[in-house]
Amino acid sequence: MKPASDLRAMLVVARRELLERILTKWFVIMTLVGPIGMIAMVVVPALIASSSTAGTKVEIVDQSGTLGEPLAAALETKLEWHATVIDPKTPDRAELDRIRDDKINGFITIAKHAVDGGPVVYRGDNASSQAVKILLQKEVTDVVRAQRAVRLKLTQDQVTELDKKVDFESNQTTGETEGTSGMGAFAIAYILAFILYMVITLYGVAVMRSVVTEKTSRVMELMVAAVKPRSLMAGKILGVGAAGLIQITVWLAMGAITLAYRETILGWFGASGGGPGLPPLAFAEVAVVLLYFVFGFFFYSAMYAAVGAMVSSEQDTQQVQMPVTMLLVIGVVCLQVVSNAPRGDAATVMSNVPLWSPMLMPMRYVLGGATLGEVAISLGILIVSTLLVVRAAAKIYRVGVLMYGKRPTMRELVRWLRY
Amino acid sequence: MSSSPALVVRGVVKQFGNHVAVEEVSFEVPRGVVYGILGPNGAGKTTLLRMINDIIAPDRGDITILDGLRPGLEAAQRIGYLPEERGLYPKMRVIDMIEFMGELRGLRRAEAKLRATKWLERLGLAQWAKNKVQDLSKGMQQKVQFTTALIHEPELVILDEPWSGLDPINAEVLREVVEEIRASGRTVLFSTHLMEQAEKVCDAVCIIARGKKVLDGKLRDIKRASAAEGLVALGFADDEARAKAEPVLADAGLVVERRAPRAGDVADCELKLADGAAPSQLLAALVAANVGVRRFEVVVPTLHQIFVSKVGDAAVAERRPEEAA
Repeated sequence: MKPASDLRAMLVVARRELLERILTKWFVIMTLVGPIGMIAMVVVPALIASSSTAGTKVEIVDQSGTLGEPLAAALETKLEWHATVIDPKTPDRAELDRIRDDKINGFITIAKHAVDGGPVVYRGDNASSQAVKILLQKEVTDVVRAQRAVRLKLTQDQVTELDKKVDFESNQTTGETEGTSGMGAFAIAYILAFILYMVITLYGVAVMRSVVTEKTSRVMELMVAAVKPRSLMAGKILGVGAAGLIQITVWLAMGAITLAYRETILGWFGASGGGPGLPPLAFAEVAVVLLYFVFGFFFYSAMYAAVGAMVSSEQDTQQVQMPVTMLLVIGVVCLQVVSNAPRGDAATVMSNVPLWSPMLMPMRYVLGGATLGEVAISLGILIVSTLLVVRAAAKIYRVGVLMYGKRPTMRELVRWLRY
Repeated sequence: MSSSPALVVRGVVKQFGNHVAVEEVSFEVPRGVVYGILGPNGAGKTTLLRMINDIIAPDRGDITILDGLRPGLEAAQRIGYLPEERGLYPKMRVIDMIEFMGELRGLRRAEAKLRATKWLERLGLAQWAKNKVQDLSKGMQQKVQFTTALIHEPELVILDEPWSGLDPINAEVLREVVEEIRASGRTVLFSTHLMEQAEKVCDAVCIIARGKKVLDGKLRDIKRASAAEGLVALGFADDEARAKAEPVLADAGLVVERRAPRAGDVADCELKLADGAAPSQLLAALVAANVGVRRFEVVVPTLHQIFVSKVGDAAVAERRPEEAA
């Protein structure tokens, strides 16, 4: 026999909960598929963007008389399209019929005064493709500009001078660091906030279901005779939380690796980067995310555990968990508030409220809106409120676990809290 | 082994809202006995057992377990509990479930595993050890449930309505187990509303109704006391004997009431003796009157009869407040 202790009982319960979770197929699949999804998020858009449009067949109805031939040549040589300049009097109807009969992909109509700002219109079965639109726009623009240069009698040097690239970028910074690509920082902060929301919901609800299952399978009485309800609840939250922590750590690690070796991974798929580069995750950022997960999870799962103790069947949980879930959703809805102005008043207030700080503060920090000192204050508030919530939940839990049948009214709940 | 009682309950009161579930109940369970808490549904038996198991706290009164322990974690390691609400983790493997309960009750993991394996072998469930609990039949789950109460060899085994829902085979298994625990000098405390079952296994009982204790003591003493209340079953040799007996039985100083024998009894009649009249006086009078007596028996009432006569209309089952919708 070992000496009796609440701590030991709690750990025995936690171990059971952890094993019951991680030894399932679903846990393994979710843990591994999650990162594959993340890799896909990086690779798929790049793949789509770089997918070739070669072989596209178009006809050019050139009413300007000057733009058709150079455009056809540009499309043939640069994009490997099949472009033919046809009779400028060809009616649209005839061309539309050719599209319908699958003779061509589309046709470009160049208005008479296109060089003076008249329209150039492309109609085709692939016009909804971003790639086609972007490529075509660039070639048309180049040809029209070249024609204008000719009219202005500009020399080749002058044209080159005009076309020289303007180097502009926007970087997210609040003065602490050099700054990172705005889009990249936003994307990474958003993904992190979303992962936190997802994992907290997923595992908070898992705690609740675990409590309800103990009630419906009537194993609860056996349990509370052997351990204090408080230890049971704490062990449950720890065990389920450990499973969540394992998952989120695997995800973050794989996410960080994906970002760090983005180009290499893209290379495997024959795609190249481009678009906004995602900045790699710093150690402090990962640490902040994990800390907020741990306490955010404790905070919410204690509430979910209390909800589980209040109901006696799986169906009842749907309604009762709504208020808790709504609180979480408010946090997600307000992600935009933080990303728009990480140092704004609204972001500052909300990232200190323990209900939302688990999602909003990591985002604010990654966007550079908060110093480590501010993070520490918000984290302190979260930890203190977590302790209070756990205490209240434990009281509801203690009375609730052996209640079957009727759900308690608000008045009864208040009475339970005073026991 | 220490000589302190296995359990002492003193003046325990528990109230749910306006309903008094347990009212000033006191009793003592000596070591090494099988002790029954008897009462109709809603009498407060389960509430009492839950207080001993520290699942709920009494409003007033004292509960002392084994060597002066209060209900709580330390006591829990020496108590085994089979709740009325049977339940196991449906998705756990059978062996893990038993091992887990052993560990919670203070065993080291390796020791718990060893004992779980032994128990499964003994109950003929060894081949199911690695199956999930939910794959087992109800009867097998009941056996697993027994082991969760016994794996840590508790000194005090508490069984709440142990026979309810048991098939005959498992009822027999349970009786053997109870017998074994008593033989090893450990104590069994159980509750039941089935007096026939209690009569077969109990050394001592405490009868409660509507939350109050009606009587307690050794079963033998209770029966002897009830027998002294003077009920005699009489069988006559023939009709002539019956006629001869008439004047004797009509003597109000000896017999106050004559009734038909109870169902299944082959006696001719049952007599309630007058206060102060001993059975031997009646027998002497009958012999003096030369009545041919085939049978003369001081009726020892069954526990059920004692229960009904003591509890009376208190036996009306009441709904339990904690189950009230």
